[in-house]
Amino acid sequence: MRVRSVFLLVVAGFATWGVLRAQRPFQQYQTAEEHAEYSIPSDAYETHEWTRARLAYPSIMAPHGYPDGYKRWTIDYPRSDRLLLKGIKRLTRIDARSVEQVVFLDGSDDVYNWPLMYAVEVGYWNLTDEMAAQLREYLLRGGFFMCDDFHGTIEWENFMNSMRKVFPDRPVVDIDNKDPIFHVIYDLDDRFQVAGAQYLMTGRRYEYDGYEAKWRGIYDDKGRLMVAICHNMDLGDAWEWSDDPRYPEKWASLAYRIACNYFMYDLSH
Amino acid sequence: MFELFFKYPLAVFSRGTFVLLGGWPKWALIAAILLAAAGFGLLVRRMTAERGRVHGVRSVAVWLLQTALASILLLMLWHPALSVATLRPQQNIIAVVVDDSASMAVRDAGGSSRCEAAVRVLNSGLLDALQKKFQVRLYGLSDHLERIQKLDQLHCAGPSTHIGDSLKEVLADASSLPIGAVVLLSDGADNSGGIDLETISEIRRQRIPVHTIGFGREKMERDVELSDVEVPQRALPDSRLAAQVSFHQHGYAGQTAKITLKDGGKILASRTVTLKADGVEQTESILFNAGTAGVKTIETSIDALPNEENVKNNQLVRLVNVDQRTALVLYMEGEPRWEFKFLKRAVEDDRNLHLLTILRTTQNKIYVQDEYNDAPRLKDGFPTRVEDLFQFDGLIIGSSEAAYFTSNQQQFIHDFVDRRGGGLLFLGGKDALADGGYKQSALNDLLPVILPDRKGTFVRAPANVELTSAGRDSLITRIEEDPQKNAEKWRKMPYILNFQDPGQPKPGAVVLMDGLPLQGGRFPLLITENFGRGRTAVFATGGSWRGWQMQMPVSDMTHEMFYTQLLRWLVSDTPRRVVASTPRQVLEDEARVPLRAQVFGATYLPASDATVEAHILGPEGIAETVEMRPDPVEQGVFTAEYTTPKAGSYLVEMTAKRAGEDLGRDTLTFRREDGVAENFKVEQNRELLEKLAQETGGRYYTPAEARKLGGDIGYSEAGITVRETRDLWDMPAVFLLLLLLRSGEWLLRRKWGVI
Repeated sequence: MRVRSVFLLVVAGFATWGVLRAQRPFQQYQTAEEHAEYSIPSDAYETHEWTRARLAYPSIMAPHGYPDGYKRWTIDYPRSDRLLLKGIKRLTRIDARSVEQVVFLDGSDDVYNWPLMYAVEVGYWNLTDEMAAQLREYLLRGGFFMCDDFHGTIEWENFMNSMRKVFPDRPVVDIDNKDPIFHVIYDLDDRFQVAGAQYLMTGRRYEYDGYEAKWRGIYDDKGRLMVAICHNMDLGDAWEWSDDPRYPEKWASLAYRIACNYFMYDLSH
Repeated sequence: MFELFFKYPLAVFSRGTFVLLGGWPKWALIAAILLAAAGFGLLVRRMTAERGRVHGVRSVAVWLLQTALASILLLMLWHPALSVATLRPQQNIIAVVVDDSASMAVRDAGGSSRCEAAVRVLNSGLLDALQKKFQVRLYGLSDHLERIQKLDQLHCAGPSTHIGDSLKEVLADASSLPIGAVVLLSDGADNSGGIDLETISEIRRQRIPVHTIGFGREKMERDVELSDVEVPQRALPDSRLAAQVSFHQHGYAGQTAKITLKDGGKILASRTVTLKADGVEQTESILFNAGTAGVKTIETSIDALPNEENVKNNQLVRLVNVDQRTALVLYMEGEPRWEFKFLKRAVEDDRNLHLLTILRTTQNKIYVQDEYNDAPRLKDGFPTRVEDLFQFDGLIIGSSEAAYFTSNQQQFIHDFVDRRGGGLLFLGGKDALADGGYKQSALNDLLPVILPDRKGTFVRAPANVELTSAGRDSLITRIEEDPQKNAEKWRKMPYILNFQDPGQPKPGAVVLMDGLPLQGGRFPLLITENFGRGRTAVFATGGSWRGWQMQMPVSDMTHEMFYTQLLRWLVSDTPRRVVASTPRQVLEDEARVPLRAQVFGATYLPASDATVEAHILGPEGIAETVEMRPDPVEQGVFTAEYTTPKAGSYLVEMTAKRAGEDLGRDTLTFRREDGVAENFKVEQNRELLEKLAQETGGRYYTPAEARKLGGDIGYSEAGITVRETRDLWDMPAVFLLLLLLRSGEWLLRRKWGVI
């Protein structure tokens, strides 16, 4: 009886600690891409109103040529995040933190502290049922999910394999040009495919059979986007390489504008 | 007994004036008394010196007794008397007013009704005694005064009791008739809210004493009575409302009773309460939903208790006019942030709240969301014309520094609350309150708090919340029906992500919720205040979204309910340009209803030059138009009085026009119910009858004492009077006193052995 009581006390203590520490502090993780490393800004640990979370998810296979297991979620990380957040701070009135927040669908409450979540390379993600359920709960409570950097039919199908676990019945639709998400700050009627950095080596805008950029989404019952799907494009690379003179400015510019609009849409809808 | 010793009735002493009829001056009496006192002083001193046994206190006692005896004898020489006004026999009229209302039909202990008891008192000698000396006019009193010739014309079935109005009518008679006094036989169960000061003053001016004879028990043995039910006269559809149910009881202390609220037979809410001590007024707050638009007839009842003597006083009816209107709220947010998003989401399902927003997205851009067709356009940002801002009912200012608003806009916001009567909510944020420079702005006046003199009041650190005692009673913070559970729920809510020190609440402000930072301390989190014609509030955080929305399951509606209730509070009393009202929505056995309209122009300045009409629709096809007249005192106010021809529900639409311009319209409802008033307050209101008698120079009598009235009533200064003097020297009490003084001295001396 006494052992059981001690055990319960310990559990309760951990639970209390978990609640108090529910908003986890910033933490830097090892990236799968060496060229994407970026220094930690001096104000990384300051508190701000907003930051964009990056989802750490399990993937179906390790990226080709990357020795570090299955960390596909770290593609472009953290350089892409840090440059993007600099842009958000400069271009909008959002009181943005200089660093991203890595979040996990691990059953804890932490993910609910970060209502805007981004995931890269979701053509390889592999959510468990529990993860999918938590992502669904996150979105229905008011969270927003943006994904990017996956291309072609095969990666789409794999993306949908997990997304169907999240929302079995909600359709994925093309976002209409008139949707406020394309107008909240910038009018983005004329969008184009934003190629990844591979363009610098191959001269090809698309990857696999993803010839045409798809601006898709999943709406909630009130007609608001809660999942924004950027298929057949690589906005992550555009942010990451935006300070490289070889990377075309017009793609980087569109990528920043898309981000500004998407984030502002989320904060206003 | 009194007259045995004092020769005259008490009334002579209470109304008479003391006079000295002797021819010698008064100063001579005083001098003689002083001389006598001095003489006795010398005598006592000599006696002390000679005999030595009367000294100290004893000598003083002897001196006092001798001086008192001499003083009384001297006073008698000056011929003391009372000058008193008396009614001339057969030349004056006594108005005998008998309560003829239904409450007089109540049978108290003994089996006979109050009415029968009153007739019995009159017939057992009182009426004859009065008729011997005076002319007597009989009146029956209920909702009006009626002259009767005989007592058998009393039916005790009048729908209500208006003592004040009836006395006014007697006074009107007194202007042409020599009415010397009024005798009122009643249980004092007045339904008109008591006797107004004006009536009392008029009675006193005419010096007519009102003698009252009280009938009925002063306390019921076993009864629960609903005293009042307060509900808002107006509400938005689907509003959560509180009915303040007041009641008292006798004989059931500690037992439970069930209170039920119904609308047309449909139960809206019910609650079982424990009854407090006998006679203690108890008030319970019962929440209910206003439902869809339309007039709601809220029937409040307390289930009859075992052996309850009067169950007709267990029900009351009130009306709630649920307006089919939509309130417009403008939300100005200076910073894209989560609270903006989640506040919008929280209220979006409320069909009667239209939230229009202006968000500063970049340094030079705003994002306006005004998708409602009935809303004013905001493409240029925050309104720059007062009439544009005044189209809104409520205003929210988020994390936006005060300097963002021009001085004109700040003045408009001030007028929006003060003059237009709108609601203004300040949210916490990095550019809000003290950190946003509001302390130095014209808007500082509007805040319900005294802002700190420092910056850095906005802290991104977690805080729990706790309801204050006012918050436990408030509808804004009521998530759970049960107040205890509600307070507990708030205490256990996950923490909010940030907070702002708003400073101290101003006098008159109400703190509904405190913040408890995890790092320690306490600060007022939600503060409300009425300001001018409107109201203001501070919700000192921008982080409620975290604890109350994102950390709660999808099914939890705390955040939605909180913001919906806060915004409804903000706008539900914001007036339109025409505001129709009446102080009495339910007329209980009353035909007249006062109507009132407040009329404003587009800038909410009073429109005194408007033409205002009240179009009335009543039961059985009643349709009338009443022209309303400008109030001579209050600008923009128009009044009228309408007499309802029948019982039932009435709908009034008031329309206002000025020089062809339609200023607006408003509707109100009221209901006339007959046969209700006399079911309430059926105990004898002795306090009212005693006070009435006391204020007018009369006296209160119980039925057993009433026979004395025949002797007392002649002393009055009203009617045709003659002033008489009554000698006092030959009162038995005087001789007894003299005897007492003399024998007292003799007994003392005997005791001391100095005789």
